Amino acid sequence: MRVTKGAKIAAGSALLALGVAACGGGSGSSSDGGNPRTATGTVYIRGCEPQTGFVPGNINETCGGTVNDFVYSKLVKYNPDTAAPELDQAASIDTTDNKVWTIKLKPGLKWSDGTPVTAKNYVDAWNYTAYSPNAQIGSSWFADVEGFDKVNKADPDGPDGPKQAPTPETDKLSGLEVVDDTTFKVTLNAPTAVFRTKLGYITFAPLPEAFFKDPKAFASNPVTNGPFKFVKWDHNSQIVVSANPDYAGAEKPKVKQIVYKMYKDDDAAYADLVSNNLDFTELIPPSALAGDKWKTDLGDRAIEGQQGVIQTVSFPLYDKEFGGNADFRKAISLAVDRKTITDKIFNKGRVPLDSWVSPIVEGYKAGSCGEWCTYDPTKAKDYLNKAKQEGYTPPKEFPIWYNGDSAHKEWVDAMANSINQALGADAGFTVVGRSMPTFDEFRSVITEHKIKGMFRTGWQMDYPHIEDFLNPLVKTGASSNDGLYSNKALDEKLHEADVATDQNQSVTLYQEAEAMLANDLPTIPLWSYGLQAGTSKWVTGVKVTPFGELDPLSISIKAAA
Amino acid sequence: MGRYTIRRLLQLIPVLLGTTFLINYMVWQLPGDPFAGRCGQRPCPDSYVSAMRSQFGLDQPILVQYWQFLKNMLTGNLGVDFNQVPVATQLGDAWPITIRLALLAVAIEAVIGISAGVLSGLKRGGFIDNVVTISTLFLLSLPVFVTGFLLQWLLGVQFQVITPTVSDEAPIMELIVPAFVLASLNMAFTARLTRTSIVENRRSDYVRTAIAKGLTNRRVVGVHLLRNSLIPVLTFLGTEVGSLMSGAIITEGIFNIHGIGGLLYRAITGQDYTIVVPIASLLVLVYLVSNLLVDLLYGVLDPRIRYE
Repeated sequence: MRVTKGAKIAAGSALLALGVAACGGGSGSSSDGGNPRTATGTVYIRGCEPQTGFVPGNINETCGGTVNDFVYSKLVKYNPDTAAPELDQAASIDTTDNKVWTIKLKPGLKWSDGTPVTAKNYVDAWNYTAYSPNAQIGSSWFADVEGFDKVNKADPDGPDGPKQAPTPETDKLSGLEVVDDTTFKVTLNAPTAVFRTKLGYITFAPLPEAFFKDPKAFASNPVTNGPFKFVKWDHNSQIVVSANPDYAGAEKPKVKQIVYKMYKDDDAAYADLVSNNLDFTELIPPSALAGDKWKTDLGDRAIEGQQGVIQTVSFPLYDKEFGGNADFRKAISLAVDRKTITDKIFNKGRVPLDSWVSPIVEGYKAGSCGEWCTYDPTKAKDYLNKAKQEGYTPPKEFPIWYNGDSAHKEWVDAMANSINQALGADAGFTVVGRSMPTFDEFRSVITEHKIKGMFRTGWQMDYPHIEDFLNPLVKTGASSNDGLYSNKALDEKLHEADVATDQNQSVTLYQEAEAMLANDLPTIPLWSYGLQAGTSKWVTGVKVTPFGELDPLSISIKAAA
Repeated sequence: MGRYTIRRLLQLIPVLLGTTFLINYMVWQLPGDPFAGRCGQRPCPDSYVSAMRSQFGLDQPILVQYWQFLKNMLTGNLGVDFNQVPVATQLGDAWPITIRLALLAVAIEAVIGISAGVLSGLKRGGFIDNVVTISTLFLLSLPVFVTGFLLQWLLGVQFQVITPTVSDEAPIMELIVPAFVLASLNMAFTARLTRTSIVENRRSDYVRTAIAKGLTNRRVVGVHLLRNSLIPVLTFLGTEVGSLMSGAIITEGIFNIHGIGGLLYRAITGQDYTIVVPIASLLVLVYLVSNLLVDLLYGVLDPRIRYE
């Protein structure tokens, strides 16, 4: 039979399909030597869809946090190199007793709609966030301020119960007082030395008059006071911010516009970065980290550093079977070969941790976990025997739980193997990695205190201070004390540190409190996160903050490519 | 034909009701609180959780929720998702991109798959047949993400003939490579299906009769053979349109296409049923309609099939 010519061509394309499709694509980036970014002054950075809009008091995830930090200035900002808090919008933050704080704003600060930034903007914003009927995620940040219990009422039987939360008596925190246009006074419930450091957190940003007219509309079209101002938000694809010409800070933005381009997949962002279609990403995918491939790919465009994120494993201390005793937890910790795991699985992208505090924050003291966080199989066996003699029998199978929707399986399995090998076959139990499908489910089981086994816990600092790694995590009844650890002496020490009027003394007291954790080991420190980021060949000067975000003031476009 | 179509359309109603109820029910049954993970390691404030639950009616019994959902669907009011962004605009932004990608993929599948199948079927055991068999085997054994990453790396990063990712507007030109990746697997299926069908029908009586009548080869193959052989292929492609509409989560992820797949993925991981349920329901509708269209097309292709 005769074969038609048309069919021949079609079949040819089937065979050469790969090649044919290749010809059809769009044009790549120009390679004529000129810098395509210069014309528009726009840079493109990796982003993701924020969960909430541009209301600082209602944000607590990184997708929204990053872009909100571009557009909102706070009283304090953190030095992108050292993480030390520095005055930003505040001209001075004065206190004599760490309880009553007088905050003076710099003169001439403006919102992007031209209205001045006043003390009232700060007080109104904080009152709004704290008032419980406004249901703001950040409300608990104001729990230290006097009068919080009058504006924020808890639901008596939790959100699951039938009862409604009572309406608070007032919507104004009694501890906030506007003195004049640029001065306000904050009175706390008790002296809190770390309050000044906290003020750089996004929840403490001010809100303009425009917000209170229509909070809903404001969330998707904000008026802001930061180095950049909001231009537009195409949901699930991009957020555009442009340099704020009225920005009063000493350091001005060096680019005209930043496009916060949303990627669903880190690999896609990375491919765009390597081919210079994207100017910055702070998430190098595991496929590129393997064998340090990203360093060969990017060369001098690779950025390495540290960030204030730590990984720990917690025990359900409320559970007789899986809570173990102190010696058992020590045995487990001693049996984890942190160095090998960070070397092999994370390619040294994470650093073994021997304390409960991230190494980059104020108050970090090396070796507070010390001997318990050093791999020593012999000692681990000794402590396991000791634990058994004290009457604790571990269950036959001891799981380490993690959420299966991000990359935890590898290290959890490695940790389980390390423990099993170190403790030997006669340990009487085996440790296994177990996953729950989603982070939501994982967190639900943990907060309901129903988890049966060790579980992965991580902590990303809110502000660079040792206090942020202790109070929320190990104080009795603290919001993120997932294992329900309780130690009276430790609580007292923490309280002492909270109310100490001298900064240095306060830090010393926090360190003493941290040292007490080594007796009980309620959580096992594993490693702190390194930071791997990359830039395109079009930009220069890029700095990454200790929070793992781009410092928007640092990025600038290269004069010649 | 008309009555048949109406009957089929009426049948859609109970099917839609049943499936949407099941979808609602299953989503409701998912373990974990959608607001438990939203505040990371910190628990969300009670006031926030209560406010969100009452906004989305999660504190209501399932039947009340389902009734609300039906009312909203019928009035076209999809409300907002957990991020307080209108669901309708998100679907409106994502769907055209997915449709473009899906149609392009099906077109590539149909053109390349059918022609390769016809060619190899006509010359069974010949050179082309062997090449097609081997190349389809190769495509079948490659998972989509391998093809995707490979093409992205090769064309986007190494040779820079395309941008590695698709821009927000997703013009057709940029979608060709992703559509090809998406089509690659099913292109192989289509080719093989067509081939088998052609081989079978070539020996049938009506083809022999047609040849004996002295018809030209072009007419025998083009009108008699092809038309009859395409019925199973059409069924396959029809359901394919449906499944491609649900978004190709992997392909969309690799090329960063802002389509339905990515939206659905984000919503599923965030347990955001305000997006999952409408998308799933619309997909049911797409499936049902595309199946109906395929059934109606049968009648056009094969005169023996008549609907009353």
